[in-house]
Amino acid sequence: MKKYAFLAFLIMMLNPSLMADSFSLSFTQNMADNFFQNSLAEPDKLSSLSFYVDKDFSRFSVFSEGTYSYMYNNPNLTYSMQDAGLDYLHPLTAKSAFYFSLGGRGAFYRSNFSDYNYLAVNFYTAFKSYVSPTSIFNANYSLEYKNYESSLFDSISHALLVSFDKYLQTRTTLKAEMSWGYKSFLHPFISQENPPVEDASTSSKGKGKGRFSGGGYTSSISKADGGGQGIQVFSFSGLIAQGLGDKIGLNLTGMKQWTLSGENPFTYIEEFYSIENPSYDRFSWSGTQWSSQLTVLMPWNIQVKLGYTMARKEFPGIESLNLEGESLGITRKDRRKQIDLRVEKNFPRFSLYLSYFYMINHSNDPFFEWTGHFFSAGVEWNFFHGER
Amino acid sequence: MKRRSYLIFILILIFSGLTLGQKTSHFYNVDKEIRIEGTIQEITMEPRYKNTSPFLIVKLKETKTQQVYNIELSPARFFEQNFYKGEHLEVVGSLYLSGENNLNIIAREVRFRGETLVLRDKHGFPNWRGGSMKKQGRRKGKRF
Repeated sequence: MKKYAFLAFLIMMLNPSLMADSFSLSFTQNMADNFFQNSLAEPDKLSSLSFYVDKDFSRFSVFSEGTYSYMYNNPNLTYSMQDAGLDYLHPLTAKSAFYFSLGGRGAFYRSNFSDYNYLAVNFYTAFKSYVSPTSIFNANYSLEYKNYESSLFDSISHALLVSFDKYLQTRTTLKAEMSWGYKSFLHPFISQENPPVEDASTSSKGKGKGRFSGGGYTSSISKADGGGQGIQVFSFSGLIAQGLGDKIGLNLTGMKQWTLSGENPFTYIEEFYSIENPSYDRFSWSGTQWSSQLTVLMPWNIQVKLGYTMARKEFPGIESLNLEGESLGITRKDRRKQIDLRVEKNFPRFSLYLSYFYMINHSNDPFFEWTGHFFSAGVEWNFFHGER
Repeated sequence: MKRRSYLIFILILIFSGLTLGQKTSHFYNVDKEIRIEGTIQEITMEPRYKNTSPFLIVKLKETKTQQVYNIELSPARFFEQNFYKGEHLEVVGSLYLSGENNLNIIAREVRFRGETLVLRDKHGFPNWRGGSMKKQGRRKGKRF
């Protein structure tokens, strides 16, 4: 078996038609004083090492990406993730084209978080057309099936997005976007497992609420009433962007999302910084979000992005609890303000970036009343082999 | 016998690759690199290289000379970036002539709206990637 692997490697390395067109390695260091984004404010650091490789075959390209992320204070949340797939670009006319992508992903967490392990298959297609030289129509559809180690999270989701944008001679861009999505939980059930018991080392986490952020068991337990199998959401957003000279761009985005049917099938939901959590995604909330961003191209080709976001979110099916874990009889509602800054510099062979977020989250669930500072720094090396 | 078969098989794969890898199109010549600024006149998708997807081509009228250049970006950028007629661009790339003195530039770097798109490295090797539509938002730190 080892011999075959070696032969395959040799052929890949020596055969120019099979050699990767591009290969990149990246390292990211994250630091946060509230990694689990709740009132316990637990700090941690996350180091991620990633690779990316791709190869074009005619109009197809195959790609693969792998990430290993290590957490320092909560090593049992350390994980690795692997993506692989192929995509295809098909021009329809000189002004319009289709794009197709089919991929798979595996995510593997350590020990107590192994319930988050999943295998996924996703299909994505997009259509883009220049209706006129200054206006663009865009539509895309994605389908994703996820199979988790804990079947509670197993899901299939569909998302359809349609947008239209127009560029004005005043250097103003206007964009309107509509999106529909449906996520179906394939096995909503009442967990038959015994309620998780925190060990001594994690007893300070969760503070009597039955929530186990960063400690042990995965966050969400299915509700007794299940809450229905599917969640259907619809959103509308508008963007106005203005170019100010050649080196400054400013944009403002407003978005409103409605939950058309269904509700979250969990007793509570959480989001973690930089880590995918199956109980929290775009299907879990309804509400509004406003964001603005200033982009500046500084001397030495340094890109700076400064953003401010405000969001009001309601989580259908999720009841707010007091700090003793008792229901308050109201649906959880959050208000969030966020400032973010990102500085990036691209060199011929590598890129460097620094980013900082400051978030303030107010909630009618006191456990999710929090603030947080999030720092991130990264470097990416690129090696290209494709035709010049 | 078996060992010899393996050897022949490997050699065929390697040398078939050498011939398949050869393409007969223009290429990025670093000695002909120029920088221009101008306004977009037209955006199209056009075939450029054998056995690859069509490229996003931007016709750019240079501000100084009023000459029109065909700027060759990349295949996937058609979906990743929105360019419009009337927008101002600054382009660094390799110049080549085609047909009856048509001016073409293989873009290495494009600056617009306060951002820089790096399409190739300084030697001209492309840095666009497959799967890029799916990858957006998953790399380089936190997304919300």
